[in-house]
Amino acid sequence: MKTATPSLLELQCAMRASLVVHDDRGISAHVVDAGMSPAERLDVYRSTFASVLTKALRLSYPAVHRLVAAEFFEGAARIFIEAHPPKSACLDDYGEKFADFLSDFEPAASLAYLPEVTRLEWAVNRVLHAPDVEPLDPRRLAALAEAERARVSFVPHPSVSFLRVDHPADLIWRAVLEEDDDALSAIDPGAGPALLLVQRLATGVEVRRMSESAWRISAALFAGWPLAAALDEAPNTEASALLADHLAAGRFIDFSLNDTSGNFP
Amino acid sequence: MDSHAPPLRTRDSIPAKAGVGLRFRHHQEVLEARPAAAWFEVHTENYLGGGSAPACLDAIRRDYPVSLHGTGLSLGSAEGLDPAHLARVRELVKRAEPGLVSEHLSFSVAAGNYLADLLPLPLTEEALGIVCRNVAQVQDHLNRRILVENPSTYLQFRHSIIPEWEFLAQVAKRTGCGILCDVNNIYVSACNHGWRASAYLAALPPEAVGEIHLAGHSLRRLDDARTLLIDDHGSRVAPEVWALYAEALALFGRVPTLIEWDTDVPPMAVLLEEAAHAAALIDEAESENGHALAA
Repeated sequence: MKTATPSLLELQCAMRASLVVHDDRGISAHVVDAGMSPAERLDVYRSTFASVLTKALRLSYPAVHRLVAAEFFEGAARIFIEAHPPKSACLDDYGEKFADFLSDFEPAASLAYLPEVTRLEWAVNRVLHAPDVEPLDPRRLAALAEAERARVSFVPHPSVSFLRVDHPADLIWRAVLEEDDDALSAIDPGAGPALLLVQRLATGVEVRRMSESAWRISAALFAGWPLAAALDEAPNTEASALLADHLAAGRFIDFSLNDTSGNFP
Repeated sequence: MDSHAPPLRTRDSIPAKAGVGLRFRHHQEVLEARPAAAWFEVHTENYLGGGSAPACLDAIRRDYPVSLHGTGLSLGSAEGLDPAHLARVRELVKRAEPGLVSEHLSFSVAAGNYLADLLPLPLTEEALGIVCRNVAQVQDHLNRRILVENPSTYLQFRHSIIPEWEFLAQVAKRTGCGILCDVNNIYVSACNHGWRASAYLAALPPEAVGEIHLAGHSLRRLDDARTLLIDDHGSRVAPEVWALYAEALALFGRVPTLIEWDTDVPPMAVLLEEAAHAAALIDEAESENGHALAA
């Protein structure tokens, strides 16, 4: 059979279809079959594609991997990879949609907390690989007049995030990674939500529970609300101590001055 | 050129000695025990973010020459390079100031998806033009020469008309890039496609070869007693590949050489043993043929 010579772009798109959705129709006719069929040859690349990406997911989601066991994880990963192949060659960035995928994944439906643990692991992964940026020097803030300070909007450090998870996903995550079966069995998976601060420290990633008021102020500050408006989010009892803690821990990298100190946006 | 370069110079360039591919499992050991490796090479894509991995590389970089070996630029992509990825590579190159920067003669991105492997190109005039355009763009963007490595392949395209060794030599000639000659890849591809490995080596322009890679491969048995060699970097360098490496050194002179091991990474001592074997062969090679592409 004579086949028209494909352009490089056409060939590469056909190769993508072969690897991602196992559709060899566009590529087979262009592959030399001496001694081995095109499908056998393409299988070598398909196998690498699947195993490299499954490993990338396993590295980003170690607790999920342990919670569901290897076979289930790999099965779910294969389906996820086919639906959501990576868009970047930096595989630390791969797997953002895994939590959404698992929440719709019928075989995992009995594990209601699984998508929440997955979301937490993604936040941990993001924080772990976030760019290195110098934190804000608190003296820059101290140099502002009182009225100006109320209008400050902070730029969050990329190695910090605030997360609200249904279920005690943080307790499950920690017990699973520490292989603490006693702690795991003591957790009530139906217990209420947790408000979390996830941050990278020199020693690793810390996941810390916060009070409702501290979390609300922090989430507002990290969403860029003016300082005065953010502090209005909750009774102002610990607000200045909380702000001092954020500044001392280097959780901001910069700030700008808004026209208003009022509600935002 | 003064062969007894001052320490700073040694730190910045990759010596014509045998180095070791550095993987995460050995980070701590390298920082604490300072093994006697001549230099290290790391995978660019593992250090593009922040946090502990690049911090570790900073620390290792203070004591060892380091080379950056990329797998994600996709020099063969018809759709062009991903500018965001190229920008991140440039940031890392600025930060690590590597002695060498290398990539592959392959593609790994199509229709905006990363395909997680070094995929073979059809060796056509069109592909040659595209690879040269992309290599030139990388070199302009990084403001330095890069090395391009020959891949190991498991399939060939019917419409390929340029032998791989000629294709690679043309890329080097047209863009001024160097060649990273992976001797194991030549052996694997030669066995898989019925090429003559020695003739491949002999066809490469010696002055362009700036680095050699060595690694292990495995034999996959298909039915009907057919076999395929797989470049899995999961074992010691095979005797046939050592023999081919000796031929390469005779042709190219003393060239920085790397031991790569990515699957079931063994203790550092095993990697250093392999590097010592390569070093012995380098010492036997004629030193007057030596050249320093790293400069």
